[in-house]
Amino acid sequence: MPIRTLQTWFARKGSAATEVAVSKKKDRSQLRVGIPKVLNIWTTHQFWVGFLRDLGVESENIIFSSDTSEEQGREFGKGRGTVDCCYPVKAMSGHYGELIFGQKKKINILLSPMIHSLPSVLHGHVVDTVTCTRVMAGPENIKSGFLKERDIFAENNVIHASPFVSLGDRHMVTDQLYISLKDAFDLDKEETARAVKAGFAALDDLTERARKQGRDILTWCAKNQKPCILVLARPYHMDIGIGHEIEADIQAYGYPILWLQYLPADMDLMNWLFEADLRDGLIKSPFDISDVWASSYSSNTNEIMWGAKVATRCPWIACVLRLSSYECGMDQPTYTPAQKIVEATGTLYFKFGDLDSTKPSGGIKIRVETIAHYLGKYSQEIIQRKLSYLSPNCPLGELPSSSSTVATGETEPAVVNVV
Amino acid sequence: MANGLVQIQGIEGEPGALLAAIPSPAVYEGESLICGLDVGSTTCKYTLASPRGEVLAQAYERHNTRQAEKVLSFLTLLETSHGLTPGRDRVFFTGSGAGIIAPLVGGKVVQEVVAVAAAVDKLHPNVRFVSEIGGEDMKTIFFQGEGISRSKQVLMQSACSGGTGTFIEKTARKLEISSESLSKMGYSGYPLHKISSKCGIFAEADANTLLKAGVPVEEIIASLFEAVVYQNLATLTKGNTPMPEILLLGGPNLFFKGLQEAWRYHLGKVWKERKIQVSDDRDISTLIRVPDNALYYAALGCVEVALRESGATGLYFGSDKLKYWIETGQYEEKKKMGRGGLCKDDADLATFKARYEKPQASAPPAGVAVTGHSIGPVLLGCDFGSTTAKAVCMSPEKELLFSCYALSKGNPIEDAKALFRQVRAVVSDGDILGLAITGYGKDLLKGILGADCPVVETIAHASAGLHFFPDADCICDVGGVDVKIMILNNGAVTDFRLNSQCSSGNGAFLQGVAERFNIPMGDMADGAFKALAMPTLSMGCGVFLQSDIVNQQRKGWQAEEILAGLCAILPLNVWIYAGGMNNLQQVGRKYILQGGTHRNLAVVKTQVDFILSKVPEAEVVVHPYSGEAGAIGAALVALDWWKGGGQTIFRGFDSIERLTYKTATSTDTVCHWCPVNCQRSFIDVALLEGKGRPWSKVPLTTGWERVIVNNSCPKGLVEDLTEMKVIKAGIEKTKNAYPNVADMVRQEGFRRN
Repeated sequence: MPIRTLQTWFARKGSAATEVAVSKKKDRSQLRVGIPKVLNIWTTHQFWVGFLRDLGVESENIIFSSDTSEEQGREFGKGRGTVDCCYPVKAMSGHYGELIFGQKKKINILLSPMIHSLPSVLHGHVVDTVTCTRVMAGPENIKSGFLKERDIFAENNVIHASPFVSLGDRHMVTDQLYISLKDAFDLDKEETARAVKAGFAALDDLTERARKQGRDILTWCAKNQKPCILVLARPYHMDIGIGHEIEADIQAYGYPILWLQYLPADMDLMNWLFEADLRDGLIKSPFDISDVWASSYSSNTNEIMWGAKVATRCPWIACVLRLSSYECGMDQPTYTPAQKIVEATGTLYFKFGDLDSTKPSGGIKIRVETIAHYLGKYSQEIIQRKLSYLSPNCPLGELPSSSSTVATGETEPAVVNVV
Repeated sequence: MANGLVQIQGIEGEPGALLAAIPSPAVYEGESLICGLDVGSTTCKYTLASPRGEVLAQAYERHNTRQAEKVLSFLTLLETSHGLTPGRDRVFFTGSGAGIIAPLVGGKVVQEVVAVAAAVDKLHPNVRFVSEIGGEDMKTIFFQGEGISRSKQVLMQSACSGGTGTFIEKTARKLEISSESLSKMGYSGYPLHKISSKCGIFAEADANTLLKAGVPVEEIIASLFEAVVYQNLATLTKGNTPMPEILLLGGPNLFFKGLQEAWRYHLGKVWKERKIQVSDDRDISTLIRVPDNALYYAALGCVEVALRESGATGLYFGSDKLKYWIETGQYEEKKKMGRGGLCKDDADLATFKARYEKPQASAPPAGVAVTGHSIGPVLLGCDFGSTTAKAVCMSPEKELLFSCYALSKGNPIEDAKALFRQVRAVVSDGDILGLAITGYGKDLLKGILGADCPVVETIAHASAGLHFFPDADCICDVGGVDVKIMILNNGAVTDFRLNSQCSSGNGAFLQGVAERFNIPMGDMADGAFKALAMPTLSMGCGVFLQSDIVNQQRKGWQAEEILAGLCAILPLNVWIYAGGMNNLQQVGRKYILQGGTHRNLAVVKTQVDFILSKVPEAEVVVHPYSGEAGAIGAALVALDWWKGGGQTIFRGFDSIERLTYKTATSTDTVCHWCPVNCQRSFIDVALLEGKGRPWSKVPLTTGWERVIVNNSCPKGLVEDLTEMKVIKAGIEKTKNAYPNVADMVRQEGFRRN
């Protein structure tokens, strides 16, 4: 299907919004853009915000769909599902429906990028940082459910814009977005380049702040000799309808939570954690995963393997929580190696696999209590054991001497029953 | 309509009755008739037609799992009353039983959906969507385009009971509603309740809960119809919109008025939402039609297919072979089809028994009434389960000194009193070094009993398992109503599967079948071992398994053989269907079997064989104290805690005996977390340190502690929104103190300025 240009679209049916967009070419203040909050948008969100804002789209006119939920799927995605076992992809039809039908003020453009590669802290240290093909092509897959019988986009005066974009290869992005969005947004090359720059600036800023929070957590852990938890998952498991907030149930027992995507990647910390491997020449840099994962093409998979390596070394990461969606073919080959790496230093590892649309409450409650039990029982032992493998020059500040490490009652986190 | 099918108009009469004479179309001497036979999962139907497709006779009857016998009686009737003639006329079969029966009479098999589609094509050129709901399957057909370019997309589901006729009937039977009244019950206007649409057994349980909560049966049945339509639309439309005109076929769609209403409601809603043009002059009910002969479409389709085939296809050669098969053949078939017994030979059984039959490690002395004689300082472990409460006393040297149990009576305070009365016969307050409790009642009772360690079930079971078998990799607990699989790694439970989606694989089913055959559970294994052959039952859905059993029984399989067959598929249901574990190699090599179902040696045998077939180097053991594992594990946790310097806060036997409480059951105690609205009871226990609940609808002053019972799910343990807020506030405080990076990303990542 050819991409419908703004002109043709306008020719079909006039509306105030498009008239403005056409007559004053660069005024996009009335243009409303909906973005489905799905898949790899979860690590590239701010790029799109920065990009659109720089093009003159008003902040209130950038609409993200809500978190995935069964209700959303039922109400808006009903029957437009696809034959795909990947729930995070399938759930997209609910997001599309919500953006098309569920807005008081209608959107003009549904921006659903096909993200082909991702920015990654491992970029340059791995073969590539491309995305899962099924996830990348998700927009095409879901779009067809809205075209199959009638063109729902046209009926609702919505342009479906799904640019193919390699966010991992920044130099390619301007051309890609210019070509695929020039009609929908009436772009010229120069402003596209500027907007792309603004997008990356916004994204980098957020990523940096999130990593900083990760570092703050580890610093606090080091100072108080307290454990924290690392979630090894794909970015969209932060969506509470996909990851079901399982990590939050453990957080409620008083454990800070780190996410793989926002692990602090500062060189001082990394060099300390990987000092021995670097010295022995096992790896070229702390971000080199070739020792455990040779075929390092997939961005999220690479990061999962790297996260496992960091987790097994970092003393205060006492426990790794692995989340994985039902029948994820990308995750499948990583299960055993990631688990073996994490457990090599006695770090606790718990996997919640086969996640789907429903949160199996009974099972999860028992499992979370189980994890809390082991954390309470073993975390001090784990921290001390892992510290003993590392040099004493911890970049996170001076550590309390090991004799006083056993927590006093005062700083003991309150244990709260999770409902 | 010279050469076409004639649509039969409004045939009145009792279901099952042979249809009244149809103005008889001309059949000329020597012309060959065509008979379409639909052998379904619950009924058989036939349509006899002239060579031009004009219908001469039709009928349907329930076969009560005797498909072949019913077909024979139909054929006999057709021969004697309607002139069906071997060597001249043709028979075309469809339906689940067609494959076996058709070749016995020379018939040709037509796939069911093909048959239905052929009839619809002929009779209703304007129909775009067909739903056919059968006893044990459901199908949808989407038609697209017109005339020659008309194409079909077919979707079918026959592996699970969700959305089928059995799903409705099973629950209706439970509610004791006759099929006659069921067919008249409505859908429109009733408040709907949540009923699992996925599994017939859970739907039955949901319906039961609703009934207990006082929901009128009319509302439950309306909710069932809702669940069926939802399940059909959710699983069998795959992105297509059912477009008008719509045809609803099959028994349930024809007979259940409420189901038709549910379809009309949902399809009308879908059309409105998707702005499907429905011509103004046509009422929705004329666009969604249930033909009076809705049952016969598959049979009519067979006739239609026959008309297109050459005259030699499906030539009927009489029913002798079928007769032979019914009288003798199917029993011989039984021997061929069935697999061997549970054991290869006597030696295999002997080896197995030598290893596994040894009496379970003698249970710790139970109920010793040595009043006044103390067994010394002990760690007390209690397991408050949903049906029984158990306690064990363990010495600091890990010796099991005493065990006892009490049947649960629904009031945890009374259950605890009953249990502790037995314990105090052998120990006194001062002897209790520590108390740990586990099981469903742990959160309710920990404060009231003064428990030192509330222990989650997994930890209790893992501790007990690892105590006896330190190198265990996996604990498989098959209880009455659930299946739990715990995967151990480095001495920790790293994965845990609780079967909650589907009823297959649990022990209650095995027990139910044994009871139906009047075989005590204790004798079941011996009987099953005696079977030299057994039927191959299908893995999966327990609802269909029930009808599969009736079918096998009919073929002549004896009770023992069927039970052996059931034991044989249990491991598949446990590991693959319920546990979702296809790769046991990954799990490890040492397996502990526990839970009540593993007291049955036949099950142990099939479990051992199954595990060894997947992991040849595996070692499978049965937990020596299968029933007490939870309590033993709790005692072990208490021991650890005591060794770490713990000082017990055990309330003391006298205080427990003297516990006073008041019970409240009123509209104020009804749970409002979901539409089930469970009638809970609040048991308020007088405790000096009780914090009270001043904010509650049933306020409680300080000095009291509340225990909530009769809730059907864990949510109901929280009193109401007010308590939720109190709890949430506590959680929020903790969460703020211990941040989650994802929270920051969830907020900041999607900021737009």
